[in-house]
Amino acid sequence: MALRNGGWRRHGGVIAVLGLLCFVPLFVHNPYLLHLFILSMLYAMLAGSWNLINGYAGIFTFGHQAFFGLGAYASALLAMDAGLSPWITLWFGGCVAALAGLAIGLPVLRIRSVAHVAIVTLAFAVIVQAVVSNLPDFTRGTLGLAGIPAFAAFVLPWIGIVSFGAGDQVAYYYVALVFLALSMALTIWLVSGRTGLALKAIRDAEEAADSLGVDPTRYKLIAFVASSFVAGIAGACYAHYLHILTPDSAIGVSIMITILVMTLVGGIGTTIGPLVGSFVVTFGLEGLRGLGDYRLMVYGLLLILFVTFAPRGLAQLRSARR
Amino acid sequence: MLTQLLLAQIVNGIVVGSMYALFASGLTLIWGTMKMLNFAHGEFFMLAGYLVYFCYAVLDINPALSTVIAVVAVFVLGVVVERTVIHHLLSRPVWQFTTIIATLGTSIILQNLALHVWGPEFQNVPYFVEGMLNVFGIRIAYQRLLILGVSCASIVVLWFFLKHTRLGLALRATAQDSDAAQLYGVNILSIYTFTFGLSAALAALAAAMLAPITAVNPYMGLSPLLKGFVVVILGGLGSFGGAIVGGVLLGVVESLGVLFSSTEWSDVIAFTFLVLVIWVRPWGLFGVEERS
Repeated sequence: MALRNGGWRRHGGVIAVLGLLCFVPLFVHNPYLLHLFILSMLYAMLAGSWNLINGYAGIFTFGHQAFFGLGAYASALLAMDAGLSPWITLWFGGCVAALAGLAIGLPVLRIRSVAHVAIVTLAFAVIVQAVVSNLPDFTRGTLGLAGIPAFAAFVLPWIGIVSFGAGDQVAYYYVALVFLALSMALTIWLVSGRTGLALKAIRDAEEAADSLGVDPTRYKLIAFVASSFVAGIAGACYAHYLHILTPDSAIGVSIMITILVMTLVGGIGTTIGPLVGSFVVTFGLEGLRGLGDYRLMVYGLLLILFVTFAPRGLAQLRSARR
Repeated sequence: MLTQLLLAQIVNGIVVGSMYALFASGLTLIWGTMKMLNFAHGEFFMLAGYLVYFCYAVLDINPALSTVIAVVAVFVLGVVVERTVIHHLLSRPVWQFTTIIATLGTSIILQNLALHVWGPEFQNVPYFVEGMLNVFGIRIAYQRLLILGVSCASIVVLWFFLKHTRLGLALRATAQDSDAAQLYGVNILSIYTFTFGLSAALAALAAAMLAPITAVNPYMGLSPLLKGFVVVILGGLGSFGGAIVGGVLLGVVESLGVLFSSTEWSDVIAFTFLVLVIWVRPWGLFGVEERS
């Protein structure tokens, strides 16, 4: 696979982080710390997928929680009601999110105005959350779903049975890591290849790119669908890991705020930014646990501070050194 | 009986819609001059609600004076927020995105501050005026008539200000072409600050009037914010008249909708309508198509 823009080398930081993550369970045995690592990885997938539309395609959306929630609910409901294995329903969750991405991407891509895109995507997420909350027969409404099945156990050569019981966090850890690695590979492939070049050209000068035969709608749509697919998979993993979903926790605005904070702290428009950002924010906020409910205020403050003083996030520090 | 019910609902819709119009004209004013969305607009609304609650319900200050206090205080807060958080973003690239983030951050901080200081409980504010008016068998609380009167008066004042004062002229000039306005000696940065304060004051006025009807709590700003967005998009972003017509229209449609479906679905319908409108007419129902 030929990669332009410096190829894989340019994303060495991402590969290094993923490589390091492989060894974490050898040293970390505390279940709570592992839980934080798993959440960070799921959030890294989610923030990374948002970054694909926002940082690379330059379309600023504020309804990404809809894709996360749709993936989570679709996979959970299918596993619970149809009795299918979560290994299968997970992909279904991703596809439902991708279809939703296509459905909302088509009207959104017709609009250039940042304000309109922001409001329409936000409105879409509000619609999804309201629909899920208002269909109690189907989704159990605002009470949410409980008892979502765990992943089925399987046998790996040399390792033995991998099961997903209450104490098997290491198994979940590696599942999250594998999906994170796959999503990062997809992202790197997209942004380094032809699509990434086209997206950057469109982001920086849409008319010019259009006149040179780059079809803006097609490439933006690719980014939109890929991004919502990854968000849906992250949501499905989240559902089968926590076994509980509520409309508020899976589709609420707070998810979008978390994505924003993580991406902005890490660095928007870079592959490593959302990855580092989600770990920094998840673990950093754990350090601030004493603050209790002031956590959200810290989020608000971080948003203002980063957007004002370091609009390119922590990744800026690295490029500034060069 | 049915016609009376319908009429009563339409009147109620116009009353609430006139407040949506005030709230949304603040949003559209900011968009028109600064080309940005203000996600903290709902929090200005919420803070004004609390100010009226404390002045009127707790300290027993006269309602008119309470409203003035709330409006002035929130105007000052708006000026402070613009100066500290937004001002330096406006001269940078992608400010349309960064200002959304910054106002969202402001909104989170203000909302949680209110939550910590005053708790999540609903605080009731008594009506400013008691009693009911009885016309053709329709009973309307004087409070609602007061709301309608205040909103009509403030819309007229605002219109006069924009059309017939030097400051209003400068504001419109900045909205039309900020570079040209600057060439003609308009200090556009001060205009931005003033517009932001004025917009916050409009949200505050709407909150002061609605507080007795809706009660006050830290999350009360979210719903008007989302509805305000719907109104300004439907009316065409930046169009003052569009915001007013859109606001009243949404108010009437909502209160009639309550007769036919449950309130939970009304938001879904409003937002779906919004997405459809944007698909077909991105520049809104009353806005002018903008080719960039």
